[in-house]
Amino acid sequence: MRALVLVLVASAAFATPRPARDTADVGNAGSYSVGVFNPLRIAFHNRFELQANPILFFVAPHLDARFAILKPPVEPGQLPMGVRLTAEAGLLMPTYGMRLMKGFFFPSWATSPNDIGFMLIPRVGLLFSGDFFTNDVLTFRIDAAMRIPMGPNSATPMNSFLAPLEILFAAPLTGFCGRLGGAYDHAFGDRLRLRGEVNLYLTGQQGNLSVNGVDVGAVAPISPFIFTAHLGLDIAVFKYSRIAVGALFANYDQGATQVVTRADGFSDRVRVRSNNILPTVDFIWAGF
Amino acid sequence: MRRLAPLLLLVLAGCEWVADPLKFTREDVPRYKANAEHPAPPQNPTGLKVMAWNVKYGACRVDFWFDFWGDRVQLSEGEVNDCLTKVTALIKEYDPDILMAEEIEVDSKRSAYVDMVRFVLENTNLQYATFDETWNARYVPSEGVGRITLGNAIFSRYPITKAERIRQVDRTDQDFLTATFYIKRAIGRAEIDLGDRKIAAFVVHTEAYDFDGTKQKQIQQIFDVLKVEEMPWVIGGDFNELPPVCDEKAAEGSPDSCEGKLRLAGFLDERASSKGTEYEQPPYTPSVMKQFYDSYEPSISLSRYGVGEAAQSPYFTHTVLGPDGVNDEGVPGRWNRTLDYLFIRKGESWTNTDVLQEAGRLGITGDPLRLSDHAPVVGTWGLP
Repeated sequence: MRALVLVLVASAAFATPRPARDTADVGNAGSYSVGVFNPLRIAFHNRFELQANPILFFVAPHLDARFAILKPPVEPGQLPMGVRLTAEAGLLMPTYGMRLMKGFFFPSWATSPNDIGFMLIPRVGLLFSGDFFTNDVLTFRIDAAMRIPMGPNSATPMNSFLAPLEILFAAPLTGFCGRLGGAYDHAFGDRLRLRGEVNLYLTGQQGNLSVNGVDVGAVAPISPFIFTAHLGLDIAVFKYSRIAVGALFANYDQGATQVVTRADGFSDRVRVRSNNILPTVDFIWAGF
Repeated sequence: MRRLAPLLLLVLAGCEWVADPLKFTREDVPRYKANAEHPAPPQNPTGLKVMAWNVKYGACRVDFWFDFWGDRVQLSEGEVNDCLTKVTALIKEYDPDILMAEEIEVDSKRSAYVDMVRFVLENTNLQYATFDETWNARYVPSEGVGRITLGNAIFSRYPITKAERIRQVDRTDQDFLTATFYIKRAIGRAEIDLGDRKIAAFVVHTEAYDFDGTKQKQIQQIFDVLKVEEMPWVIGGDFNELPPVCDEKAAEGSPDSCEGKLRLAGFLDERASSKGTEYEQPPYTPSVMKQFYDSYEPSISLSRYGVGEAAQSPYFTHTVLGPDGVNDEGVPGRWNRTLDYLFIRKGESWTNTDVLQEAGRLGITGDPLRLSDHAPVVGTWGLP
């Protein structure tokens, strides 16, 4: 263990802190980063990069493009400073990946032609980043994704026990997912970055239940709002890489109720929102 | 830190088990009261109209995937409300003083998160209720079932003064993961104040798919609980077992043999494709019900039940296949076996007992065959 720590620290060349993640920054041409869970980002131009998640790509083909609208010049080895504005646009085809989850998160529909329909999910977004001090970044973002149906679809929202799953599948299953978010990221010395992020998501309605092509009525309503807060710590390792750890809190409606006892001894069930507290961890190679 | 404590409590209040293991032996459960005004029941009654009904989570005749006649997993809100409206209309027609209901759900994805306890309370003359959860999972990762809270309920026109649930044994023939997310059976018990006396009402729903003798153990446990009950009692529920017309263990040709007396297998609603799955019908063991008939008073006696399907069919309470479906031989679904019962203490009396299989039985106009996969079992209990 001591040897591993020694290797990690000794191999690091900490001239400047690692750059902040999930900001409006677009890397200079040729730069890239990839995590186990974080997407692969490759800059093809100083103002243009593409990103995709390597794990999900083969079951749910997708691609996001990022265009730097405002980008101050960045010297090699230095962190970006000043006002940055970046537009994002992406496209996702989630059907095959979702069909892999049939039998678990979705019905098998073993005796009927019902299935998860083909669909395209376009996404657009805008990110704004700026600095208060040296080595900190404040980022605001707004984005939205919607569903373009490509055929009949019997899948309904999962209303699952994990808010991140709800967010991931909000657009394919409810038809819409919008986000308004903000993050503040600060470097503490050369090795650590602390990041706090909050997001408010607005999903589409639960929709109607389609059985063998027949609409049998509306699925029970669920609040369309999901709130998340994330606190993360990036620890610099090797020359360009980092380990990212953190905790995610999410608050959303999963249809839960709570029994409340009245003064007369009888009880009522009242609808309550559900919470998630989840650890997050990743290893990210390279970095911008 | 002290300032953070309320915030922490608020955060943790929203955290739940992914699947509640329901670790209790015997515990009190909440009681509920109708908000709507209901007609007051007669004070100090000499008899009580009781009904036991497995209401199939408000799905009426929608075939779910484990039925093997369909593959539905979820109902729309309209389907549930429409079904429950018809179910409560039938309950109101018979107008029981006590209703023991199984497969009642609250905040369950498949039944559109409808609070069925509240629905029955507000739409019948039953003013009080208790609900004992037997399945409480934040998410069941099978076929997209999702959140589920299912259980048994006792409804009463008279005040319920105490409600509790008694844990039943679990299956031992499932892997850890399946068992974690599976139903945990319990006996529901309510003490009901009739004015001049108190009575106890029990509701049960035993295991349906085990191959390890769990159901038989649960039935024995129910028998034992009743044996030590001190109050006058009535029990109703879905025992998932046939009446003890014969002994399934008896050799063919022997006097106790079931041959020609009671169908044990090959029911018209059993689909061949269910064989070998986790929803295959296990062999019935009607002999485990014998002690109930020997020691307690059934609403339909064995002599009335008769021998052979022709005599017994008026008292069948269950069919998976509904009237609008046909089986692989082209036979439409109809009631084809008895699984639901009402019992009171030996020596006490039943009157006006029946199985509400169809319109016209005891004057009802609703069609129970379209309202659930079980028929209501009813009778008037002459109080001791």
